[in-house]
Amino acid sequence: MKKSSLLLSTIFLAILVNYVPASAASRVAVSIDPPSVQANMGDKITYTGTITNNSGKAIDNVIAYISLANVTQGKEAPMDLEDWSANKAIKVDAIPPHGTYEGKWPMRLIDSGSYVAYITVVDKNDNIPISSMMSHLEIKRILRLNPNNVLPVALGEPVLIGIVFMVIAFKRRSRVK
Amino acid sequence: MKTAYIMQKEIKESILTPKGFLWYILTSIILSILSYLFLTNSELSLLDQGQMLYMIMNFITALGILIGLVFGADAFAGEIERGTLEALFLSPASKMEIAMGKLGAAISNWGIIFAISLPYLFVVGKGGQNVLTGIVYLLILGTLLAITFSAFSMGLSARIKSMKNSLIISFFMFLLAGAPIFLSAALRRTWFGRILDLINPFADAINTFDSVVIDSQGFSYQAGRVAIICGYTLLSLWFLKRSVSGLEM
Repeated sequence: MKKSSLLLSTIFLAILVNYVPASAASRVAVSIDPPSVQANMGDKITYTGTITNNSGKAIDNVIAYISLANVTQGKEAPMDLEDWSANKAIKVDAIPPHGTYEGKWPMRLIDSGSYVAYITVVDKNDNIPISSMMSHLEIKRILRLNPNNVLPVALGEPVLIGIVFMVIAFKRRSRVK
Repeated sequence: MKTAYIMQKEIKESILTPKGFLWYILTSIILSILSYLFLTNSELSLLDQGQMLYMIMNFITALGILIGLVFGADAFAGEIERGTLEALFLSPASKMEIAMGKLGAAISNWGIIFAISLPYLFVVGKGGQNVLTGIVYLLILGTLLAITFSAFSMGLSARIKSMKNSLIISFFMFLLAGAPIFLSAALRRTWFGRILDLINPFADAINTFDSVVIDSQGFSYQAGRVAIICGYTLLSLWFLKRSVSGLEM
């Protein structure tokens, strides 16, 4: 029993020592800032992604893009960022050895819920895409329901134009008579 | 002076009539439905205030262009078909003065549509960003587009001398101008979509509205697109002048 426990512990330790996360193994690392955001619907926020070249060689033609996933219970789905105005991928021409590049992704928050945002970097010389940690985004629901504002205009204006229409028609008729 | 007289006559005959006024009642009803839906429908009301304002502005611009095209198509071909052009030509006003008077009436029509839309724009954009700037851009670009499309349609009407045909061609031009609305965002990002967006005055206007109202970008971002629209305005006025000077009874 002791022997097998010792064996298992040794195997686990060996795996742990040999395990290197993809980002650490890669010559590129990416981080996202801020790590968490709480905002209201309609707000505009900006995510900053920092791409670091950990190698001694310059890297070129790296593509970075942001992804957003809805993690609200029952609504789990990746989001189409075009609606959130953050669909633009950034092409980084070159990052010098041990240098960094800072990209910005402004985003308009158009729906409420719990989301996670992360930035992915794709280097054509690397088979593994590198993603940042996830930034948690909580968006509070604000409905712009204001029928009290729109009703006077929506009802009043056609009526007003209708009255002008009737006045013109009446004047014309009386002129003809 | 003669231009002003022709313009006044056109406004009295085409705009300040019960039939002409139906356009404005319909415009206000459509704008009422749209703004009510935007502000009360829970799905649509999720849209950002700027986005709603932008959509209403696009609709008003398209409506202004459409009415301008109809007015333009009727300008000379309609007079020929009604047999009234001869009498108009016998007046002391020159052909260009007549054309400018009719164009002035078409632009006044756009002015009325813009005035009708103002309360809706303020209600929909209330509390949102760049409302006043957006409205100023709508006034300037909408007027330029109204001149462009009305002058083009009037020139066509003088050349073709058939209201039906000039109206059909004008509608084709309207659909072509509105093509960006039918193209997907991905298609608009291709080289063809980008070129179409740049050379299309209507697309230039809606991209400017987007840039001003939603992205809060300054005039330096808009200058190129505004210059293209101005170029089209001058081109269509030149086309109208050429078409009218060649107009014979």
